[in-house]
Amino acid sequence: MELFDYSLFVSAIRMVSPILLAALGGALCARVGIFNVGLEGLILAGAFSAIVGNHFTENIFLAVLSGVAMSVVVSLVFGVATIHLKSNPIVAGIAINFLMLGLTTFALRAIFDVKGAYYDKDMAGLPKVHIPFLEDIPVIGKLISGHSPLVYVAFIAAVVLYIFLYRTVTGFRLLAVGKNPAAARSLGLKVTTLQYGAVILSGVLCGLAGAQLSLGQVTMFTEGMTAGRGFIALVATMLGQSHPIGIIGSSMLFGLMDALSIRLQGFSMPTQFTAMLPYVITILAMFFLKDRGTDSLAGQQSSR
Amino acid sequence: MANLLEMKGMSKKYGEFLANDGVSISVGKGEVLAIVGENGAGKTTLMKMLYGLEQPSSGQILLNGKPVTFSGPLDAIANGIGMVHQHFMLFHDFSVAENIVIGHEPKKFGFFKRNDAVRSVNQIAEQFRINVSPTKKAGDCSVGEQQRIEILKVLYQGADIIILDEPTAVLTPFEVDELLKTIRFLADQGKSIILITHKLREVMKVADRVTVLRNGKVTGSVSKTETTSDQLAQMMVGRKLQKLNERDNLDGDTLLKIKGITMASKGEKPLLDKVSLTVRHGEILGVAGVSGNGQSELIQAISGLSLVNEGRILLKGNDLTDQPVEARRAAGLSHIPEDRYLWGAAKDATVEETGLMGSQRKPEYNNRSFIQKRAFRSTVKEWINRFEIKASSLEEKSGNLSGGNLQKLIVARELAFKTPFLIAAEPTRGVDIGAMEYIHDALIEKRNSGDGILLVSSELSEILALSDRIIVLYEGKIVGELERKDANEERLSVLMAGGIENVPTKKTSETS
Amino acid sequence: MYLQKKLQKLLKPLVQPFFAVLIGIITGAVAIAIVGEPILDTYIVMWNGAFGNFYFLTSTLARATPILLVGLGVALAFRAGVFNLGGEGQMVLGAVSAALAALYFPGPPAVKLVAALIAGMLAGGLWALLAGWMESRFKVQLLISTLLMNYVAILFASYLVAEPFQDRSGSAALAQTPMIEQGAWLPKLFTGMSVHMGFVIAVFCALLLVIILRFTTSGYEVKMLGLNPFFAEYGGVNKVKVLLLSMFFSGALAGLAGTVEVLGTQYRYVDGFLTAPGFAWTGLMAALLANSNPLGTAVAAILLAALQTGAMGMERNTEVPLEVASVIQAVLILFVSAKFTINWWKLRKKEGDVSGTV
Repeated sequence: MELFDYSLFVSAIRMVSPILLAALGGALCARVGIFNVGLEGLILAGAFSAIVGNHFTENIFLAVLSGVAMSVVVSLVFGVATIHLKSNPIVAGIAINFLMLGLTTFALRAIFDVKGAYYDKDMAGLPKVHIPFLEDIPVIGKLISGHSPLVYVAFIAAVVLYIFLYRTVTGFRLLAVGKNPAAARSLGLKVTTLQYGAVILSGVLCGLAGAQLSLGQVTMFTEGMTAGRGFIALVATMLGQSHPIGIIGSSMLFGLMDALSIRLQGFSMPTQFTAMLPYVITILAMFFLKDRGTDSLAGQQSSR
Repeated sequence: MANLLEMKGMSKKYGEFLANDGVSISVGKGEVLAIVGENGAGKTTLMKMLYGLEQPSSGQILLNGKPVTFSGPLDAIANGIGMVHQHFMLFHDFSVAENIVIGHEPKKFGFFKRNDAVRSVNQIAEQFRINVSPTKKAGDCSVGEQQRIEILKVLYQGADIIILDEPTAVLTPFEVDELLKTIRFLADQGKSIILITHKLREVMKVADRVTVLRNGKVTGSVSKTETTSDQLAQMMVGRKLQKLNERDNLDGDTLLKIKGITMASKGEKPLLDKVSLTVRHGEILGVAGVSGNGQSELIQAISGLSLVNEGRILLKGNDLTDQPVEARRAAGLSHIPEDRYLWGAAKDATVEETGLMGSQRKPEYNNRSFIQKRAFRSTVKEWINRFEIKASSLEEKSGNLSGGNLQKLIVARELAFKTPFLIAAEPTRGVDIGAMEYIHDALIEKRNSGDGILLVSSELSEILALSDRIIVLYEGKIVGELERKDANEERLSVLMAGGIENVPTKKTSETS
Repeated sequence: MYLQKKLQKLLKPLVQPFFAVLIGIITGAVAIAIVGEPILDTYIVMWNGAFGNFYFLTSTLARATPILLVGLGVALAFRAGVFNLGGEGQMVLGAVSAALAALYFPGPPAVKLVAALIAGMLAGGLWALLAGWMESRFKVQLLISTLLMNYVAILFASYLVAEPFQDRSGSAALAQTPMIEQGAWLPKLFTGMSVHMGFVIAVFCALLLVIILRFTTSGYEVKMLGLNPFFAEYGGVNKVKVLLLSMFFSGALAGLAGTVEVLGTQYRYVDGFLTAPGFAWTGLMAALLANSNPLGTAVAAILLAALQTGAMGMERNTEVPLEVASVIQAVLILFVSAKFTINWWKLRKKEGDVSGTV
């Protein structure tokens, strides 16, 4: 087996979509001045609810929809806590992560009566989209065609978000809120509404990310299956400077590392080290962030 | 002239504190009304009620004779009232045009028509003869330009009544003249202007009528033609200002010597450019300049909060250039910071903790790394008595003190170090007159005892009242130096604008 | 009048946790009801599982031991103004280093014990210090770097006990080290009960931290750095030094948590034995609940441990799954950071003040 071949990039594209979707959600929140550490929990909520929806409706569309719905509900809890009750977003985000870890495990027992993981071999996952003509082109066809619909949704979402932020009036105002909330408020912009809007949209995106995680690559749910992807997405957000196109780039990097770490398992390297790869790369990537994401000493100072 | 706007019997209570007490004002169409008063007189509160940012406890606002209530700025804007804040409300990453149209963007199907925005801005700029470049980033504009953006924004929103809150504080004298011309022109076009300021010279130049506030009450409302600066000053202060302590002439030795310090980020214009100066024992050296011309950097360079790229800093002959803050303080430096909330205190720390800063390792208060709280507490209590600091207890959070009281606490703390050298940066910014007199007295007293003070202030009157010698900073350079007896507002103004005096100048600073 | 004021001052910080606990209990009740069990009875079973008799009580204290130590570490970092989310990694590295030191450090058992304690604290401390150094030197956000470093540390420890230092004496090749000799164990406090000397160490650390934070110069500097780093810098506090020291001791406390688990409970490092029960995260929650007050953290750690041991008892005796405990915990944290009622009003008023000064 080769270390690098095109199938590595195929799997990288597949791996990238949860990170990309969640990172876009993180970017939206960052753009209105909320540091969303709860991405991890939002993805987990989406992943679990998608499986639950799939189990009960046996309809893949409704499954994804239920994943999104759940994620939105959770993001609303996060929104109320941070925007309305003025919680520290970091604390609230961490709490959301734990809440979802606990709730999904609890619900796994309560609904499916299993511990650790739920898997049903009869359950259908997300279909693969075959793009006519394109798929026949060698290499490129394999790269572009044959992914789950959510992979395409992820990339389209990035472009749509770009247009929204930089071409529409609402997007312009949303940017204004994040840049200078005091000024935005003095102009009478609806700061709170825009913030809630961003938080809810990030819920939608994280719900999709979760659905791709539990229905796209495999068709199962395991406890804590996000394994830090929410945080990797957060770094992708920062590395991409909360710019949709930049985020595509940074997410691709992390997707590639994900794929590479799986590929490396085929070589005689201890699995522990290959599994470390995405995290190590992410930490290294943070050295290039520099001043982005504010001075954390100042930003994190209130622990309440 | 018929009154376009009238505010009648406006009162505003914050808890026990009466910020406005039955204040009434009125403005006619095309009229410039100046509202003057010292810090804390209630000018800002009054304008906040007019702009819908605060709700009056009692009183009535009449617009064209009809009573109106504003629950927020949007209501005020919709009724043709616009406000240019003292601290600009700009988005630095956005273009000038974007900053002007925000909130009322030209659009089609929800898409932002940026080209239309530029066109409308050009049009309105032409109409009111206000010069801006619409496609430039707001952050790249000069302070004067930023203010013009703010004024255009208000005009774009369709304001007929424009409130300008302390508009000249950040401007160079030249820019001030430009602004005053603009104000006059707008008034001639039929706009009504409310100018909030404490600078009487500008009032006498541009206003039609003047309303004076003191302690939340109106102490006078006169037409400009019937009054003088002196009369206005009398109404503002309400009493003769205390005379400052006598100053003895001291010819001290060199205390602080700064040789050619430069501070610059890579590839950018230096923030401090080869600055050299000397402070002697028993001398107050005033640093004048429009804010943002290197004053903050100079303070940070001397106190050790930022390091310089080149040059040396010597205190009593000790080279402090590469020393950390702690070593500089130990070498005999204390520092009243320019921003008391950012540098001078922690809002959530108690009064005692805020007071302890800098003394935590002093042997008087430290026994084998345990803080001697009892000894320190009696010291703080002494400060509180001496400076009449109003704090309910030593456990009170510093953030709950009023600005003036917190400033007095900081001044007391820094004076208590009894260091030979003190940096006093904006020592009286935003404090009431009583606290100001206290602080000025304390500074003069320290000077008379033979210590040296570097006084940085954006208030020319403060500089002129306290300094023995004055240097002027412009774009990071020292552009002039005046002895106390030669200094006056006019000469300083010219220097602050970067102009070279016509009189053959002596060398701007000592070469070393 | 004076007494009333004093009482108010004492009670005020408790209002917030009280509301959070109340909402936590209600959430738990809803979860129990969903499973279809009687609410009150289930809570009684839970209480008995945590405090029902001396055995259960000591089990709760044993479980609280690592939680308390990690919690103190987190609390210390909070005080210095940073989020140390790396407790888990620091704990695991401390534990595996302690196990290896106890196994391979030459000398009599008592020496091995001391060596293990030192090694555990050093490993945890240095791992945290690395994150602190990246923050102060390269502005790599500590919040995220510490979190990502957890995965690296856990995987590395897992590799150590799965490959070079695996116990190959037994028939099944489990990912664990060999057992430490008995002389190097931390003694149990009562025979037959699981609580061990580590609990005493943890309580001692809590008291020590209180004294340092309240009465010493270093504690003052840590606190001021946390409240306003600019103010601290202006006053001559060496920002970098204080931050690095705080991070080192924060990590060392987490490392100690792992160490006492190895030396007092398992007597070897077993892959996953610290991460599965979520000690580090519970410790973080304890610190958050107590608003970084060391003694409060101790109380919160015991309460959260009781919630978990109680939930275990509940699972033994009822149909309600164990995870109710983690749901209650998360809800506690979510709401302890929210500003309710009194605080809420204050905040509103303050906002007005702030805009009043600009």
